[in-house]
Amino acid sequence: MKTVIIQPERCLGCLQCRLACAVEHSRAKELVAAIQEQVVPRARLRIYPGRQHLAFPNKCRHCEPAPCQQVCIAGAICRTPRGTVDIDPERCINCAMCAMACPFGVLTYASLYLAPEKAAVALKCDQCPDREAAGRLPACVEACKVGALTYGEWQETQEDKGRALARAFFTSLPASQETASSLPATIRVWRQLS
Amino acid sequence: MLYLIIGASAAGLAAAEILRQWDPRGAITLISEEPHPPYSRPLLTYLLSREVRLDQVWLKGPDYFQEWGFEARLGERVVQVAPGEREVRLQSGEALPYDRLLIASGASPRLPGIPGEDLAGVFTLRTLADWRRLDAGLPEGGQVAVVGAGPVGVKAAEALVHRGCRVALVEMEPQVLPRLLESQAAALLDDALKKWGIDVYCNAAPAGIVGRQGRVRALALADGRELPAQAVLCAIGVTPNTAFLAAPHLAVAGGLQVNARMQTAHPDIYGAGDCVQGVHLLTGQPAYVPIWPGAVAQGRIAGANMGGAQRRYPGALPQNSISLRGFRVITGGLVEPEGADVEIVSEHDRQRGGYRRLVYQQGRLVGLTLVGQVEDAGIYFQLMGQQLPVKDLSADPRTPDFHPGRLWG
Repeated sequence: MKTVIIQPERCLGCLQCRLACAVEHSRAKELVAAIQEQVVPRARLRIYPGRQHLAFPNKCRHCEPAPCQQVCIAGAICRTPRGTVDIDPERCINCAMCAMACPFGVLTYASLYLAPEKAAVALKCDQCPDREAAGRLPACVEACKVGALTYGEWQETQEDKGRALARAFFTSLPASQETASSLPATIRVWRQLS
Repeated sequence: MLYLIIGASAAGLAAAEILRQWDPRGAITLISEEPHPPYSRPLLTYLLSREVRLDQVWLKGPDYFQEWGFEARLGERVVQVAPGEREVRLQSGEALPYDRLLIASGASPRLPGIPGEDLAGVFTLRTLADWRRLDAGLPEGGQVAVVGAGPVGVKAAEALVHRGCRVALVEMEPQVLPRLLESQAAALLDDALKKWGIDVYCNAAPAGIVGRQGRVRALALADGRELPAQAVLCAIGVTPNTAFLAAPHLAVAGGLQVNARMQTAHPDIYGAGDCVQGVHLLTGQPAYVPIWPGAVAQGRIAGANMGGAQRRYPGALPQNSISLRGFRVITGGLVEPEGADVEIVSEHDRQRGGYRRLVYQQGRLVGLTLVGQVEDAGIYFQLMGQQLPVKDLSADPRTPDFHPGRLWG
């Protein structure tokens, strides 16, 4: 399953992803109309100030098995055929059991245009099903300008990370250090990150 | 392999589903006393307030049992378990053989044991049948006394006010949600309940139900007061359904006895859910924690072990979420831990109505109460459940500006 992959070390905390997410989860799916909607569209990922003054994007991981799904007393949380964990706003009773179970604290509670009669429902990332159907990237990934949010198979990303780590390790060995040391520090760091 | 599961609610279903993964071809039979397909018990109070419709309480689709290849014996009551013969006897006289048995028979509401409980208009709320009786017997715009201000009593009281009833909430202890909240958080909830028009009577022991012509007229309190009511809803807690286990000596008064693998003294009989007396995750002492998440977690472990796994249940961590009209409380762990080296950090943000209370013992988080801002509750429960030492964390949850980013970022 393809998922949104987060690389916190790249995040600048610009919050463009939050804006894009809120727009995608509005009725109009378009910024100018979205900000005027009766039910204020909400972002479903949060950016926390992390350690060492870095920003930390936090969103649903679509766990398997999903703790939120196991505790949902309303039967509102289910795994979709796409592989994501989704909340049905029709069935959600705003009991906050999912917040109690989620080890990552990704749930928020607010009103939603799909269930306007309810004061609040549980909201979290649904990985943009409409966009996926149209072959587009999730809104937050599309909005991210620095590569902190990417979309792909996590196993592949994990392999890439392993390769980058190995490269960084070998370039740090004494033999290659002689040639590498002539490069400016910024370029060296970027090469290790990519 | 013949698998038999007594009970088809949270624990029974969780066990059956995971068992199917472990044994794709085994014959799995679920027995339920109730004639309905599986439904969500906690939704009954929401059904009462008419926040959900009857068609929204079913947990599974109409073809659930066929899809998973389960045999469902709905509306059948188990009267005896015979471990010697490896069979379960039903009220109908039929005996069902098993190779592995799971007892997930749940619990039944307790009654306060006062005179007048047999009057028309005295209700409990545990099953769909209970809800039907209560819904039909509710005096429109009348007065209802709710006995017991636990999670069910509080939610039921709010639901009844929603229905236009005049509600008196009666609690023996000095505060609402005793054992779950300490006094400051309870006072916040108390204020909210009163704001919605619920008359809260704390320190009030019910002495008897007063009737006229077989119908409820009032609830009498031990101090002599009489609360006029056309209906009395008892929500003082539940007791494990283990009467049918008396013969094989599996259960004690507190519930079915199981080990960490959710196995009873008979290795082929497992137990899970509200009928089981478990062990408190933090204290290691026997504890009865009849909560939905616990039932699902136990069911998953029992189910997997019945199918051949070697999983262990670390113990029950009490946790409750009470969410009424946007007023949210999440509480869990130990409220007032016994023993030495206890540190309590609490802060009350009066402007936003937020309240946070953390209880530490020996450098570990053991208790949590959040009011208002509850989104991060799961993170605290992770810290609590894994019993992580606070000093080894990258961020100290005690600091006022703690947030999850500081743990991972």
